[in-house]
Amino acid sequence: MAAQTTTKEQFISFASHTAEEVSEKQQRVEIDDSVTSPVVLYFLTGIGWLVFGSVAGLIAAVKFNLPDWLGGTPFLTFGRIRPVHLNAVVYGWASLAGAGMIVWMTSRLCRAKIEKTWALYVSAVLWNIGVAFGIVSLFFGYNQGMEWLEFPKPAGGLIALGFLFFAYSIAQTFRKRQVEHVYVSLWYILASLIWFPLLYVVANLGIYHGVTEAAMNWWFGHNVLTVWFTPIGLAGAYYFIPKVIGRPIYSYYLGLLGFWAFALFYNWNGIHHLVGGPLPTWMVTVSIVASVMMFVPVMAVAVNHHLTTIGHFRMLKFSPTLRFVVFGSMSYTAVSFQGSIESLRSFSEVAHFTHYTIGHAHLGVYGFVSMILFGAIYYIMPRIAKWEWPYPKLIKLHFWMSAVGIALYVVALSMGGWIQGTMMNDPSLPFIASVNATKPYLWVRSLGGTMMLLGHLAFAYQFLLIIYRSGPTRYVPAWFELRQTTEENRPV
Amino acid sequence: MSLPVAVIIIISIIVVAGALALAAFVWAVRTKQFSIKQLNEGAKVIFDDEEPIGTPQDLIFKESTNGSPNHH
Repeated sequence: MAAQTTTKEQFISFASHTAEEVSEKQQRVEIDDSVTSPVVLYFLTGIGWLVFGSVAGLIAAVKFNLPDWLGGTPFLTFGRIRPVHLNAVVYGWASLAGAGMIVWMTSRLCRAKIEKTWALYVSAVLWNIGVAFGIVSLFFGYNQGMEWLEFPKPAGGLIALGFLFFAYSIAQTFRKRQVEHVYVSLWYILASLIWFPLLYVVANLGIYHGVTEAAMNWWFGHNVLTVWFTPIGLAGAYYFIPKVIGRPIYSYYLGLLGFWAFALFYNWNGIHHLVGGPLPTWMVTVSIVASVMMFVPVMAVAVNHHLTTIGHFRMLKFSPTLRFVVFGSMSYTAVSFQGSIESLRSFSEVAHFTHYTIGHAHLGVYGFVSMILFGAIYYIMPRIAKWEWPYPKLIKLHFWMSAVGIALYVVALSMGGWIQGTMMNDPSLPFIASVNATKPYLWVRSLGGTMMLLGHLAFAYQFLLIIYRSGPTRYVPAWFELRQTTEENRPV
Repeated sequence: MSLPVAVIIIISIIVVAGALALAAFVWAVRTKQFSIKQLNEGAKVIFDDEEPIGTPQDLIFKESTNGSPNHH
């Protein structure tokens, strides 16, 4: 209690402002107020899809070990529940939460109130109806049969329309910006507003058949990560790491170089999923070369974020936002290097068509993007709700469940997938031997999924508390541990 | 749909996408986004006098002097 009192006094000492500071503070409060309702709507519905999608994912995971479980219920069979999981977490959770983060961040970076708020409400409603319609369709067995594009076209159309309204509001806010310079996070955000609609339109043209359709499928499947989720994650990392630490990004030059290298190389990568497939060799080779060239932008991001954080790692002990975002940023480095290596023919010969790829995809969408979104929400919500997170212990529970859960998940599937691939390549072994060999790893996968679900439940519960401004009133930050801030340990 | 029409559609989209990318780059150069001054100062735009460099931003949750919780 003594420690808390001391810390409280120290925070009071920070509370004196000059008139100019009060004005800037008032401006920022007004900006935050302008985005409160749409951002909460995006976050709330996104978190709803996260919990739903996590339950669906866990059911699908357990079915690998208990294939007859729930097998008598058609809508809970693996062929339906698995795409339900994928689409709920991708187009529901990550997209909607990402949209909420983009709305808040764009207003802050443009130092302008959000424009066309009505368009954001329309967007959120259309988007959620689209996802709900798509999920119900999948439950009833209506599936386009292409990974990442399972939703029937009307559902996809509603999501696309929602995206256009969202992009309209962001573009209008950008036009009214009060800041001359476009920060590197905004580069990623603005680029995604152009890239994603182009990608979605091209993928849904309906002019592809046979091998071309397979090529388009993986061009889309990989690029939806490239042009939508990765920009969300990197925009968040480039904002929250320096912001929380209180230190500008180490090399801004490197940040912009990373962006343009990312724009140049990343969208060629998708065809490496078809190594060994009936495509022209040059197509696959070009994709592999581009995948390896991704070392350039990834190194630019990794070095930049590491050198920004260096000397401040002790803050990971206290700040929930920083801990989630740094975990996400490190996962980005790991998953990108892994992806570059995975694209090589010699590696792909073993890892392709195995659980290894599933582990890789989860490291990207969860370890990287979702962890950064969690960190962003932990930073944004107290500012727009004007209420601190009531239970830091629940944040700690969320972090460790998510971090250990995804680590178990990825390690288990990487090991199990490699063993599976090696055995499948051995003609002297029956196929079922490769299936049986993965069983222990698949149990660990389910354990990891269970831990992540528990973390999500803690997160969702606390999110409901903060939007209702419920729970104990806090006078100090919702840190993992209260920190004695002195001149000696105060980060500079 | 016959192949030539499909090819025309794809090429049209490629041209539009390429033009957008080029336009973005030209706009960035014209507005001096890559000027030495902006590159040197750009990293600081996320900070201001109220949230200055050197102050960890998770510290902003402080109690106001009137004793009520104040999150801004």
